Amino acid sequence: MRLMKRIETEAIVIGGGATGAGTLRDLTLRGVRAVLIEKSDMASGTTGRNHGLLHSGARYAVNDLESARECIRENKILKKIARHCIEDTGGLFVTLPEDDPSYHGKLIEHCKYAGIRCEEISVQEALRIEPNLNPNILAALRVPDGTIDPFRLTSANVLDAQERGAIVLTHTGVSGVIREGDRATGVNCRDRRTGEEFEVFGGIIVNASGVWGQELCASAGIALRMFPSKGSMVIIDYRINNVVVNRCRVPSDGDIVVPGDTVSLIGTTSKKVDYDKIDEITVDQDEIATLLESGEKLIPNVSRTRVLRAYCGVRPLIAVSGEMDGREISRGIVLIDHEKRDSVGGFITIAGGKLMTYRLMAEMAADLACAKLNLKKRCRTRTTALPGSERKLDQAKSVKFFTGIPNSVVGSTLYRHGQRIRNILHRDKRNYGLICECEMVTEGEIEYALKKLNAKDIVDLRRRTRIGMGPCQGQLCAYRAAGLFVKYDSATSTESNKMLVDFLEERWKGIKPVLWGDALRSVEFCYWIYQGLFGLGDVKFPEEGEDR
Amino acid sequence: MRYDCVIIGGGLSGITCGIRLAEKGASCAVISTGMSALHFSSGSIDLFGHEGEGKTVFRPFEFLDDFIGSNPLHPYARCGSSQIREALFYFRDQLGREDIDLYNNDDANHFHVTTLGTLKPTFFSQRSVFNEKIRQAFEKKSKIAALNFEGYRDFYPELAVINLKRNILFRNIEIISGKILYPDYGDPRRNPFEYRSIDIARIFDTERYLEDLAAQIRAAAGDAAFAAMPAFLGITNFKRHHQLLQQLTGLLIYEIPTLPPSILGMRIDNALKSRFAALGGVYIAGDTVKSGTISGGRLESVYTENGGASALGAGNFVLASGSFFSGGLVSEFSRVREPVFGLRVHSDAERSRWYAPEFFPRDGHPFLEYGVETDERLNPLTDDGQRIANLYCIGALLPHYNPIREGSGGGVAVSTGYRAAELILAGN
Repeated sequence: MRLMKRIETEAIVIGGGATGAGTLRDLTLRGVRAVLIEKSDMASGTTGRNHGLLHSGARYAVNDLESARECIRENKILKKIARHCIEDTGGLFVTLPEDDPSYHGKLIEHCKYAGIRCEEISVQEALRIEPNLNPNILAALRVPDGTIDPFRLTSANVLDAQERGAIVLTHTGVSGVIREGDRATGVNCRDRRTGEEFEVFGGIIVNASGVWGQELCASAGIALRMFPSKGSMVIIDYRINNVVVNRCRVPSDGDIVVPGDTVSLIGTTSKKVDYDKIDEITVDQDEIATLLESGEKLIPNVSRTRVLRAYCGVRPLIAVSGEMDGREISRGIVLIDHEKRDSVGGFITIAGGKLMTYRLMAEMAADLACAKLNLKKRCRTRTTALPGSERKLDQAKSVKFFTGIPNSVVGSTLYRHGQRIRNILHRDKRNYGLICECEMVTEGEIEYALKKLNAKDIVDLRRRTRIGMGPCQGQLCAYRAAGLFVKYDSATSTESNKMLVDFLEERWKGIKPVLWGDALRSVEFCYWIYQGLFGLGDVKFPEEGEDR
Repeated sequence: MRYDCVIIGGGLSGITCGIRLAEKGASCAVISTGMSALHFSSGSIDLFGHEGEGKTVFRPFEFLDDFIGSNPLHPYARCGSSQIREALFYFRDQLGREDIDLYNNDDANHFHVTTLGTLKPTFFSQRSVFNEKIRQAFEKKSKIAALNFEGYRDFYPELAVINLKRNILFRNIEIISGKILYPDYGDPRRNPFEYRSIDIARIFDTERYLEDLAAQIRAAAGDAAFAAMPAFLGITNFKRHHQLLQQLTGLLIYEIPTLPPSILGMRIDNALKSRFAALGGVYIAGDTVKSGTISGGRLESVYTENGGASALGAGNFVLASGSFFSGGLVSEFSRVREPVFGLRVHSDAERSRWYAPEFFPRDGHPFLEYGVETDERLNPLTDDGQRIANLYCIGALLPHYNPIREGSGGGVAVSTGYRAAELILAGN
């Protein structure tokens, strides 16, 4: 009989979103041995499905002062420790003619309570800052909003932890919690790519699996009810604004336009969903219509710009009691010691909150985990910069350093990886050949993502590099990336063919809700290449393991 | 300006139509917005490759005899089986005059290998993709060397070989791989060129590199009888250089269609334009027809972007403006329209029915079957139901066929282009 593989560690973190990755890093920085288990890819759940706003907290100031205060505190910390994941764009709150003008004054007052710098500016000044803004606005406020890339942020947390010795298992599902008496001591795992089953044991289990935590808790005999609420967004094919534009009113659907990388994004809707539907939610046509209509009111150019894709995420709110609307429930952080609540030792849950407060949540979870392990170690994440953000690199100096490599390549690599650009580009120009022209992703960046950033397939690679996220949505680069997985021994030829299908199907999910105009043209071309020229849909894949 | 015929669209269908008309003495202008879709094609001319259930069609003409009867709206039914044959072989003759040799497997389809190593049934291929010698070598199970060009980003032989090996036809054929270098490459570590097929085609078009390239191919191929390479063996000097390379290496040198730009397609595009010009046709590149004057059921003239207020008049017009990709059809949030004349379009009012739930569906995407409705004479209707008797719609603009699922795009373009020319010639 083959013995089942068994991993022993101090702490087990379940869930590879920002909170799980942050907790792993926090524990590792305190010297705790830790293992992270994620059923899919890092930032593939709720973390990667929001609008990428670096909140100033102003959005919450009127309704939820506590959240607003958390936001502005974390905003200031992240600008220091995660600078390569952030663009300090600034943000505006603008009042449209149909909006209640009194909200403007209320917001100024509450921002003061929360400690958020909120400056009243003239309409003229707002239009100078953001020329694409609707010129009919009545009033404008400036707040320290920015943008944050959730993929980069999560990946940088994991990278730091791994470089300090943590173990990261992506594409690994937890099938159940192992209990010994009144304690949870480990988890049963299954590698979803190889089918291998194994166990991980540790002194403390941190459940950071967000909305999916309900099932995990159930397997440990703990009743925890999540309250899933769907948020949908659309992505516009150009960066049509430079600063975050918020609508100055009581939070509602479609009241924010966030720039990010090469695109802009209109968010968000809020719809209640049943828990058993969380893995199959899709964007509805009425949501797309609402978002485009509202986005156009803020920035009229929206109606003349191609819509690239639409997607949705599930907010991980924990139901307190009764039936409530998704917006009214607090976005507050929930930390549960299941020893106290349910008499199950060695198991804690960190949930609720938001991307903005991931670090604070991680700190809270790691504090409790260390207390449970009887370790007295201080949190260091408030001041320790993430890999890539240690020093601020000047773009002009980097361009000079890499003389001979196109400025656009240097600029994009620096933008995405900060100081780690030195691990990707080489002065002898090796590996700077472009693979994705839309987002200027080089072969060197892909090699780095495959070897250092746990990219196991092309969908993962997209989250590390933005490959396939530009206007063409992966028409040429997807095939090239599949070839590079073989070249760098990261997949067999059969696996590469299969991941090409999976990648195109994954891109299709976000494109089909917005399939008109140039999106349809682009799809016709893409389908022509991969089916008409390649016959990819006709490739027969062998049963698992046949080619290994 | 006034012509006998103005053709809107310079792709495969439009220019085939133009060649036939010009050859018969008609004064003819082709107005082309941009690049022909041939630049994105396999460079083979498919006639009919797959039936409804996805089953391979081996003898397309026999298949079409039955198919046309039960699919009266299909573009092939507008042409008729005998005229489809006439059109295809006419097309082959015309290309032959421009030094492009198309080969067919008698009346049967043959198969070409794709970039991913799948096999696609097709009717005509260029000499470097299919010919008698290639077929014989293949039947003898000769060893194949799959060779790539160092720095070419658009071909990864490993991904193709695994799929080929899984095909019963290739199971016992040995396939090795190898690389050739640009002779002036220098230190490859310091010169990571980003080649597309067109860059390499220019290298093969250059006389001075041929011997060096031949020596490299010979060495990389070892004892293989075939050298299979992505289709980048030159454009302008292809025929001569391909023969020379085969002589110098003693190998059969075979091409695999690539990601765009398609060198195989560009060779055909160049040949068609050259043939059209030789016959006195006028090719107006980089202009777009914006509107037309319709009166008494006839299109009298058209206006172009560059032409401003000056009209182009003609006795007959042909609309060969392509599908969505080429701009012949335009889709909006909840409708599909024909942008130049506002012609009646076959589509679905409900956008969620335009596409299949999966990207690779078994039955194809419905939007590929949308297009301008025509009568049997390829004449369209305006939105208010008026027939335009001197306007003919051809090629990818037509509805009721699925070029990708059927493997019929090239055949429909050539046959409907030829058909429209015959109708115009018969009418005068």
